[in-house]
Amino acid sequence: MKKLMIVLTLAAMTAFAGQAFAHSPLMSCFDNGDGTITCEGGFSDGSSASGVSIHVTDGDGKSVLETKMNEDSECTFDKPEAAYSVMFDAGEGHQVKIDGADIVE
Amino acid sequence: MKKRFLPLLAALSVLMISGTALAHFMVVYTPEIALDAGQDVDMRIVFTHPAEAGHTMDMGGVEEFYVMKQRGDAAAKKVDLMQYVKEIDWKNPESANKAFSALIPKKEMRSMGDYVFIMKPGYYMEEEEGVYMQQITKLILNVGGIPGNWAEPVGLPCEIVPLIKPYAVWTGNVFKAQVLSDGKPVANAEVEVEYMSHMPDLKANAMPAESSVKYPHDSFVTQTIFTDANGYITFGIPKAGWWGFAALGVGPDKEYKGKELSQDAVIWVKAEDMK
Repeated sequence: MKKLMIVLTLAAMTAFAGQAFAHSPLMSCFDNGDGTITCEGGFSDGSSASGVSIHVTDGDGKSVLETKMNEDSECTFDKPEAAYSVMFDAGEGHQVKIDGADIVE
Repeated sequence: MKKRFLPLLAALSVLMISGTALAHFMVVYTPEIALDAGQDVDMRIVFTHPAEAGHTMDMGGVEEFYVMKQRGDAAAKKVDLMQYVKEIDWKNPESANKAFSALIPKKEMRSMGDYVFIMKPGYYMEEEEGVYMQQITKLILNVGGIPGNWAEPVGLPCEIVPLIKPYAVWTGNVFKAQVLSDGKPVANAEVEVEYMSHMPDLKANAMPAESSVKYPHDSFVTQTIFTDANGYITFGIPKAGWWGFAALGVGPDKEYKGKELSQDAVIWVKAEDMK
């Protein structure tokens, strides 16, 4: 019985640890009008996105650029000439993808 | 004759005071304060009685209008907005006066995060009572859902600091906030609460005659609450829409041009129905 309680407690702790990530990732990108794109990110609880990976891919899903959010949770890169998309990748379940066509001034 | 006249005079003056005991409210208004993405934000600054679309007053100009922007734990950034302030004519059903508009361009509103707008008006002379009034007003807007400095004091002479996101209030939530004067909590301060019963029309620069609320008695028009020993107010929000809170006379300045001054702190919040 005692063993069962310990197992149950551990199981509950694991479940709650999962819930501690009850924040959603958020990203917004805009075209600076000078050939560059700026993306800014963060989480719905206000925590920083500094160091979060950013993948820029072309229309075929091939990698164009791999970078990270800076200390202000932002990154700026040259606008790809062809179709592209930007992914904010803070791990499984914490990804946001924005189509380049939706990134405007 | 004189002895008889005095009580009459006293009665008359009581009547006059109760007649003018309406809540003056600095309104800093824009239709939406929870925005999905950055956009132009059109604001109106009007000194009036929003529950009744009542008398509209000359606030004595705008001394300061700026925004403190913050996303997550990045540093807050102050942007002066005085260049966008323009004088307009504001019309209520039975009153008109000068007021102000401010069209804040998208380039200032592009980033995600919180935008704490601060408007410090000039001084309004309340002739009937012989006192000046100055209502320093806060309006907090969010873009994109990442919170920032909404719960941080700005460092104003007096201010109301919310303890619940003022742009994400459900109908039925409790609005809780702390009233500060020179950064310190104000115990037992009188706080007036009004509902925006006459929705401002930004195109016409006017409040319509129709009210969205039927007030059963005059005492419901302006609700009065008091701060506790630590300067906190709590107020249940019974209806979706805009709620204004004005902490009266809490500011450190008590006199202007040799007359009594009521330096007040105002904040506006918007509640949404759960659907």
